[in-house]
Amino acid sequence: MAEPGLTAPILEVHDLHVTFTTEGGPVPAVDGIDFAVAPGETLAIVGESGSGKSVSSAAVMGLLPSNAQVTGEVLLDGRELNGLPGDELRKIRGNDIAMVFQDALSALNPYYTVGWQVAEAYRLHHDVSKKKAHERAIELLDKVGIPDASRRADSYPHEFSGGMRQRVVIAMALVNDPRVLIADEPTTALDVTVQAQIMRLLDDVQAEFGTALILISHDLGVVAEVADDVLVMYAGRAAERGTVRDIFFRAAHPYTLGLLGAMPRVDVPPKPRLTTIPGTPPTPGSITTGCPFQPRCAYTHRVGERCITERPELTPRPGQGDHEAACHLGRRPEVLL
Amino acid sequence: MPDLVWFVTRRLFAALLVMLALSLAVYLVFYAIPADPAHLACGKPCTPDRLEQARHFMQLDQSTLQQYLSFLKGVFAGRTFGDGTAAVHCNAPCFGYSFPLARPVTTLILDRLPVTASIAIGAAILWLLFGVSLGVIAALNRGHFLDRLAIGVALVGVSTPSFLLGLLAILVFGFWLNMVPVNGYVPFTESPVDWAWHLITPWIVLAILQAASYIRLTRSQMLEELNLDYITTARAKGAGESRVVLTHGLRGVLVPVVTLFGLDLGGLLGGAILTEKVFSMQGLGDLLITAVGSLDVAVVVGVTLFSAFLIILANLVVDIVHGVLDPRVSHG
Repeated sequence: MAEPGLTAPILEVHDLHVTFTTEGGPVPAVDGIDFAVAPGETLAIVGESGSGKSVSSAAVMGLLPSNAQVTGEVLLDGRELNGLPGDELRKIRGNDIAMVFQDALSALNPYYTVGWQVAEAYRLHHDVSKKKAHERAIELLDKVGIPDASRRADSYPHEFSGGMRQRVVIAMALVNDPRVLIADEPTTALDVTVQAQIMRLLDDVQAEFGTALILISHDLGVVAEVADDVLVMYAGRAAERGTVRDIFFRAAHPYTLGLLGAMPRVDVPPKPRLTTIPGTPPTPGSITTGCPFQPRCAYTHRVGERCITERPELTPRPGQGDHEAACHLGRRPEVLL
Repeated sequence: MPDLVWFVTRRLFAALLVMLALSLAVYLVFYAIPADPAHLACGKPCTPDRLEQARHFMQLDQSTLQQYLSFLKGVFAGRTFGDGTAAVHCNAPCFGYSFPLARPVTTLILDRLPVTASIAIGAAILWLLFGVSLGVIAALNRGHFLDRLAIGVALVGVSTPSFLLGLLAILVFGFWLNMVPVNGYVPFTESPVDWAWHLITPWIVLAILQAASYIRLTRSQMLEELNLDYITTARAKGAGESRVVLTHGLRGVLVPVVTLFGLDLGGLLGGAILTEKVFSMQGLGDLLITAVGSLDVAVVVGVTLFSAFLIILANLVVDIVHGVLDPRVSHG
């Protein structure tokens, strides 16, 4: 873990909005978020399904379908990516910014060998012979810890275990030495023991290459372990952001507290039931005024009508550096849940 | 690889059993029809004496089961009708003997096969290329003009009878525009150019009719395929749109397309009856339909069994090709 704030960010996102045009009208999936990540640093984006975390990363990569409208700035090393023509963006995808997907089985093409798929990623950005690319693929497969890589390169994805498949996906993402790696729930589909191995691998890679890592996750246990900064998203907006310490020790948003409370812990006596946040996340665009979390919030009565009428903006909280939360409560609430 | 050998062996054995059962069924059905082949052979006036003679010669005086067993024996060892100087010999594999045509059925089939195969294979290549490319174009332009156009072409293709399209093509391109020959077949060995020139119209006609199902299958498979995660992976790697579609998308589309293609081609090789009739080509379909008209039961049985054999063979080939195209399929 690098000390945050010491190096200039490699990737900056400012005021990102993503709106999907659907038959039922425009649906705002991401409604103005900012984040930045520096080389060697890990930014975790957490939130429930549908909070817009995956859409944000897809928007950075320019991978959204044509019915998505993206506004805001996406700066890679100061260069604007949003609105870049397809050809230019293609040179960056998989080269400067690479992605690791959640489900390695469906992310890999079942009809080609893993060696071919890793080599393809290399050849798309390097003018080399197939043989050279294959050698590079084996080198990477070996690096991510696939035993007997030169032989296994000729195997197909279905011939690997889940953990080994995820290693292949990581090898494919790393083959061009990307400066930014976006990992979208990289361990969700894996066993707990394998999860730890994969996270350690990502950590090692980051230490070795100084890669900036954006980790999209809903697993706070993983986040606590590897993240430097955390962005908590709710209903397409930032609920809270800060360093990992701010979020875990000085959480200022009731939603963050809810997430932390819902995390099973080994250091406190187990409760008879898992704690949950009451209610369900709003569908995108359904809440237009007030705080999107208000219907599920246990603190609304402390604030009153403002929660329903006025949308809270991110405001500074006491913490290290840029700790901010979007809540009218103003100070750190004591735990009610 | 040993898996594959074992798989093919097992499938060939199963195919043999199917062929046996099928031959019995076909034999019984065609011999149950109230027509006496001997009657046709005995000529006019047909005295009971001569009829009996013809029956004996054609071995129709035996019981049905006995006839079937002689048929089976003929397949493996050949058979001889009559004796002495009048004896007619039919070499193994003998699938019956056509007395009206005075030739063994096997020879008849082998004579006609090149014609049918020329029509079928040429048309198949055309419709595969045409159908798959139109299907891909339709999928990529979903809901837009090109998609509607491709679906329209497919709709016309499935609903037009081959004789109508064939006759129209002959009328327009053969007679009015005088661009192509209107009928006849020239063997490839005689003149490859004339061969292709005479076949071009039937190829195109058959291709248009058959391409319809390929357009629809390719389109729907491609739409499904383009929604899969590994397509997103390919884009995330920095692959261009054409590479995403052709290298990553089309690969998955090929598996069902090849299945359909194998079965269609297998079926068509057994005789394109209407097309052959329309273009006056003496292929297997023509052989079959003429035999039905003249109650030449031996030929009908032989051609039917041959067509069935081709379909069974096509199934086997499709299964093997599946294993090659999709690494997840194992021939265990």
